[in-house]
Amino acid sequence: MLNRGVSKHYLLMLLPGLIWLALYNVLPMYGVLMAFKDFNPGLGIFKSEWIGMDNFEYMFQLDDSKVIFKNTIVIALFKMLGNLIVPLVFALMLNEVKNRLFTRSVQTIVYLPHFLSWVIIAGIMLDIFSYSGPINQVLSLFGAEPMLFFANPNLFPWMVVFSDIWKEFGFAAIIFFAALTSINPEMYEAAAIDGASQFKRLTRITLPSILPVAVLLGTLSLGNILNAGFDQIFNLYNPTVYSTGDIIDTWVYRAGLIDMQYGLATAVGLLKSVVGLVLISVSYTLAYRFANYRIF
Amino acid sequence: MNKSFKTLAVGLTVAFSLGACASNNADNNAAGTGSASPAASSSSSSAAPSEAAVDPMGKFAEPVEVSLGRGVDPTYKYEGNDTAEDNIYTRWLKDSYNIVVKHEWEAAPADYGQKVSLAIASNNLPDAMLVNETQLRQMVKAGQLADLTEVYDKYGAERLKQIYKTNPGLLEGVTFDGKLYALPETTLPSAPMTWIRKDWLDKLGLEAPKTLQDLENVAKAFIDNKMGGDNTLGIVGTQQGGSLYSTFLSSGDHFMNFSSLFFANDAYPGIWVKDESGNAVYGSTTAETKKSLSLMRDWYAKGILDKEIGLRKSSKEALTSGQAGIFFGPWWSPYDLQDAIKSNPEANWRPYAAPLDDAGVFNSNQATGSNFIVVNKKYEHPEAIIKMLNLHVSEKPESYKTAVGKEMTSQEIPLFLVMGFGDQLQYAVKTTQKVLTGEMKLEEVDKANYGFTYELSSHVKNIKKEPFDNYDIQYWDQKTDPDFFAHVYAHLNGGSTFVDANVNYVKSIATAQTKTMQTKWTNLKKLEDETFLKIIMGIAPVDEFDTFVTKWKQQGGDEITAEVNELK
Repeated sequence: MLNRGVSKHYLLMLLPGLIWLALYNVLPMYGVLMAFKDFNPGLGIFKSEWIGMDNFEYMFQLDDSKVIFKNTIVIALFKMLGNLIVPLVFALMLNEVKNRLFTRSVQTIVYLPHFLSWVIIAGIMLDIFSYSGPINQVLSLFGAEPMLFFANPNLFPWMVVFSDIWKEFGFAAIIFFAALTSINPEMYEAAAIDGASQFKRLTRITLPSILPVAVLLGTLSLGNILNAGFDQIFNLYNPTVYSTGDIIDTWVYRAGLIDMQYGLATAVGLLKSVVGLVLISVSYTLAYRFANYRIF
Repeated sequence: MNKSFKTLAVGLTVAFSLGACASNNADNNAAGTGSASPAASSSSSSAAPSEAAVDPMGKFAEPVEVSLGRGVDPTYKYEGNDTAEDNIYTRWLKDSYNIVVKHEWEAAPADYGQKVSLAIASNNLPDAMLVNETQLRQMVKAGQLADLTEVYDKYGAERLKQIYKTNPGLLEGVTFDGKLYALPETTLPSAPMTWIRKDWLDKLGLEAPKTLQDLENVAKAFIDNKMGGDNTLGIVGTQQGGSLYSTFLSSGDHFMNFSSLFFANDAYPGIWVKDESGNAVYGSTTAETKKSLSLMRDWYAKGILDKEIGLRKSSKEALTSGQAGIFFGPWWSPYDLQDAIKSNPEANWRPYAAPLDDAGVFNSNQATGSNFIVVNKKYEHPEAIIKMLNLHVSEKPESYKTAVGKEMTSQEIPLFLVMGFGDQLQYAVKTTQKVLTGEMKLEEVDKANYGFTYELSSHVKNIKKEPFDNYDIQYWDQKTDPDFFAHVYAHLNGGSTFVDANVNYVKSIATAQTKTMQTKWTNLKKLEDETFLKIIMGIAPVDEFDTFVTKWKQQGGDEITAEVNELK
């Protein structure tokens, strides 16, 4: 009986979220019909003429499509890896520092960039890495020719990945900090008495204890593999780096909002969603299998 | 681009709203009873509520509501608590004409185009708004627009019709299957000139450049002599998100791009031109464009062109910081130079009709219409929109002087369009010069038809110091009449060089997207932007251009060219 009362509360608390989801995510789904139509705004989505798979066929003919899918996956994959490993290492390192004041202040400082929007960060990045910016000035001390980091197709994806990790690692580390504090200190004491070195304690106690959290975060982020970060790239890119930096979302933006190719843009967006759905299902299964994490 | 556009919008709109205040006697006579006195308007409308409709300037018997989608500059300062929706001008519209302006949505100028596209796509349209040509065509095709043919005939004021008469081709351009679907803006002529810090030229004892070679030498001299400090830039232009040259979809926007370098090579990238045999060809695929690109690549490598082409968040900043002494821009560029002059008072920016091509000709592509008023098909009172434009372009009645009494900008006036006779710029520059030198009296200015020229002329003596034919910055008084300085400075410094220049205009055959472009242009434009910028920045070899042309043709370019050929 008690159980039922509690779950009612919980369900009620879930309601606002569900309504939001229905209004903004489920209801607008009928818009995907546009991918199969020759969309005419005057007629609306339902009355526009059906053209079957034409938009998809055209999409696969485009050289662009392969490039943007490849770019998206490459950038997103490295972001995923980086955003898992860097915060983990950072949390482990900071965990070894015993000065509370120091750890607290470092933690606060590194997660600050998370709260700034990409418009601001991109402006700062472009300035820092500009032709006569600080980075190039430092490099010139070592005799290097100044270079344009954000106009170099080979460097651009790395710049994107790097700046994203720099912005997010502090915030991502919070979860690892939480996991680290939940490790029972008695284990460390016992290990110390048994003569385990600092390093051994790290590899034998700390790492295994937070591994499930790391696996969980990693698998869950798989669902984001086609989200390479529109805000970020839109604010950083330029035509010279289209070959490696143009991602699905920026392409859809240009096709849909600038050139008004609604059908094609929807088709590309829909394909992205389908692939995303598959990956989320896979990652959910993986999360269950390896981290015993279940949502349903 | 957006930033400069915003400033231009403010600058120009101030300019031409004044022009709009111009009086027109003929019109005043024709519509005198309706508009002359506000006190009488209420009685006249009650006398003939149904026939009042025929009076282009008459007051509506009942309040008529107009919902608008509107671009609003967030940095603009209104009088008191006024807003874009509720200000002295809109209140005057309401009190004197019963036209009630409501805003369906507002967007900052930079986001306005996107917001319009969204409104079109979702078919959630306000009663009226301003759109660009591609959007206009999209809306015509979608059947979203009201046919204005009859309403314009019936309600269009004499002066409004006169303006369109002196700008031939404008109304034809927005007539589809014999139906008038929009009210176009009268385009101001524009061609990119070379703007140079003349104070630097003088210091180095250099001549103003005429050819590309001269220009290269000047830029090199500026850099070698560190005129702008250690980080002196050569020629600055395109910023992040900007375009290297204006295209057939945005042909008027020449501010701080590199169109000039192409024009001096007889290349017209981004627009549709005729080849030797008279067939349409896309300017970006010609040999001349390749030649221009290889020149720019060379200049980029030498540092003549800014190394951060397409990467700067704001190219204008390089002018304000005093690092750069050369850029390309149209005659109205001084509106955008206010900050640069403030932070470097000695900066003497002067325009030159250069660089010339090998034959000594100064080329430019020709600007096409930019803004169009469109009216929703479902709107019940399209005549209200026509009336608003009538009021905007015609002489204002006495009530206006007491109710408004000051210059209004696009931020106050809803559905603001630049409207004027075809020769407005020419007249403004020449007359203001004559009034300044005393060759002409202020009273002799054709106030009726060129109201803004009258304004310029009445302020010019406070602003321009002797010698009157020298427009160097030290001969200007920026303090006495700061509100008008930018106008007079732009018209005399920029405008005078431009109207005297002998420009060879090349017009684009297509001015909006054709059918195939609607699906393939994103891809082709991407290919073009990427290849060109890479060639210039030395990331790809010049011969990449030939690969681009082949690919461009294969991926739909040939198909599109055939469509454009049908247009000519």
